[in-house]
Amino acid sequence: MLVPDLFLAMMKEEWRIHSTVFWGFWFALFPVMIVVFAFFGSLTLPFFSDAVPYTVAALLAQIFFLLAGAMVGSFGLMGREFMNRRFGQASLIAYVSRSLPISERRIFATFLMKDTIYYILLYVLPFTVGFAAATPFISIDPGYIILAFASLALAFLIGLSAVCFLSTLYAHSVRLLAATLVVLALALFHAGTVVFPPYSFFLDPGLEPLALSLLFILIPAAISVLFVTVDYPDQVKRFKNSLDSLAERLSPLGSEHFIAKDALDLLRSEGGAGKVVFSFLLPVGLIWLCLQILIQFVPGIDPLMIFAVLLGVISSTIYNWLTEFDSFSSYAFLPVEVSGMIDAKLKSYGILSLLPVAVLVFAAAATGGAAAPFIPALAVLISVSAYTLAVTVYLTGLHPNVMLYHAGVFARYVLATSPVLLLIIFASIFDPLYALGSLLLVPAAAFLLSRSRRGWQTWEISGY
Amino acid sequence: MHQMIEAETLTKQYGTVTAVDGISLSIVRGELFGLLGPNGSGKTTMIRMLTGQVRPTSGSARVMGLDVVEDPIRVRELVGIIPEQETPPSFLTAEEYLHFVARIRGLDRIDARCDHWFDLLEFQDKRDVLCKDLSRGTRQKLMFAQAFLHEPCLVLIDEPLINLDPIMQRKVKDFLRGYTSKGGTVFLSTHILDIAEEICDRIGIIHNGRLLHAGRVDDLTGSGRHLEPFFLDLVRGDVGA
Repeated sequence: MLVPDLFLAMMKEEWRIHSTVFWGFWFALFPVMIVVFAFFGSLTLPFFSDAVPYTVAALLAQIFFLLAGAMVGSFGLMGREFMNRRFGQASLIAYVSRSLPISERRIFATFLMKDTIYYILLYVLPFTVGFAAATPFISIDPGYIILAFASLALAFLIGLSAVCFLSTLYAHSVRLLAATLVVLALALFHAGTVVFPPYSFFLDPGLEPLALSLLFILIPAAISVLFVTVDYPDQVKRFKNSLDSLAERLSPLGSEHFIAKDALDLLRSEGGAGKVVFSFLLPVGLIWLCLQILIQFVPGIDPLMIFAVLLGVISSTIYNWLTEFDSFSSYAFLPVEVSGMIDAKLKSYGILSLLPVAVLVFAAAATGGAAAPFIPALAVLISVSAYTLAVTVYLTGLHPNVMLYHAGVFARYVLATSPVLLLIIFASIFDPLYALGSLLLVPAAAFLLSRSRRGWQTWEISGY
Repeated sequence: MHQMIEAETLTKQYGTVTAVDGISLSIVRGELFGLLGPNGSGKTTMIRMLTGQVRPTSGSARVMGLDVVEDPIRVRELVGIIPEQETPPSFLTAEEYLHFVARIRGLDRIDARCDHWFDLLEFQDKRDVLCKDLSRGTRQKLMFAQAFLHEPCLVLIDEPLINLDPIMQRKVKDFLRGYTSKGGTVFLSTHILDIAEEICDRIGIIHNGRLLHAGRVDDLTGSGRHLEPFFLDLVRGDVGA
């Protein structure tokens, strides 16, 4: 099989997997929805231009696409776990290296090319189209359209290739990954102010920032391809029975065997530690950096408060980790109810929520430990986390990893959460104490969760 | 005769497709009943309806005297089910999975029960292996063990032997015969006719969701016929009809 054939086959496979799993027509609407959001989002830019200049909005968009690239990269791409999933039973074409004379490097390189083209078409292009459609109404030079597309694509690819690079290190050695992260952090610290190359390219298009951006993409990607390791699933793993001892310790919570199973899923899936780094700490760290930039332009905002809001939203994605390895159909033949499973997942979520709380404490300490905004920020974190989780459960039940890609469901999620989040942010700008009002979201979350338990109780296996 | 399963004009529709079309049947205690049919004929949907995993579009069913729509959890507490498509959780070991199921069912003597099944199905050496690393045959043994862990009176099995080697197939067939001779009841679905002919007391033949035939295997073989030509004639006749 030649690389172009392999590439086309992978593109078809990716589309078919998505459109099959994510309701075909509704998945096709996902890019359309991005166009719509980008269009209306761009239309609002002039209203906020005093507070958020266009250049800052552009930087925020770049960071958003950097994160999107990192998330695409980390979606199943967590060291050995990624390789197992991508090259294991779940991935058909990538598995051909076992039966056909194609090297793993060639497959992985093609796979990266496929991800590049596929996700630029799925995310970056629709966003640019939405922005382009709005430019006549907001007096922005149409020349920025091409520039926006190019710089956003570069930001996205830097995120993608950085996560591929880090996950390749992780697949070889966790110590190597940790050492590399420390070196990178020290290098950033010593370098002082670093301008993100795609952003430099956007502000001042030239060969130097373009070349620098390409280096940031190509070098990590090349290392990932050269040192790719594939841990095929025929390596048998053995463990002593840990379920019982864990369940005994968790027994005061009830549903202890389910919570213990969640814990073992997270610990043994090898994405466990990787997930925390790639899906949680990395985006959270980037958001914190982004906020440090933002406060220079928008006086009056409390970075800890905004951080608490965003941390609450990201925390709710912990629920996605918890449901990733479970399908209710795996329990449907046992005396288990959907509502019972949801309750168990919520308990596991409650335990894992200590992680974002710890992150907030750390962030508060980093800001100098100002105690006054910490309590409202903690209230915001808990409320936003509970509310966005409740919306997720209400809309997707036990299947957030699949159903949030349903354009209709995602639109409802955004409509249900974004006005509330904006309200909290604006309230906190007037006075951080107003953010305590976010605690009203807790009863709303409780109401939604109780509706979810009833609503999803009637879920049944599809297909025949 | 004690009725273990009673279905009345049970029907399930998925959109415009009728997966099961007005099936009525009853199965009594101690019987080994085989539901035979080609792939996609409605066997799995029938088992899912009888165990309250999916709700019938119309009709009704009682399992061990319980209405499967009204009391699906109680039904699944009492019966054992071996689904065809589901596999045990990837990141639990074989032993942990059986303990997990035992805890869900609130069983006592968990270690003893698990040891019994590891010994009987000869996979003691796999008890500490992650389920994702088990062979298909061993996963099937594990699913078999979980269904019998609580010593149910009725077991519903979807394709019981499909991944097992011939030695283990023999063992399972003998076990099922022994189980029914002691009063247990088995409802199994399969498209492998030899299994049905060898171990079932009674069979039903399903095609396109409709029950084309139900009767004793003895009656068929006693009249000098074999199941395979009978099945093929019936199904082909249904296609031609």
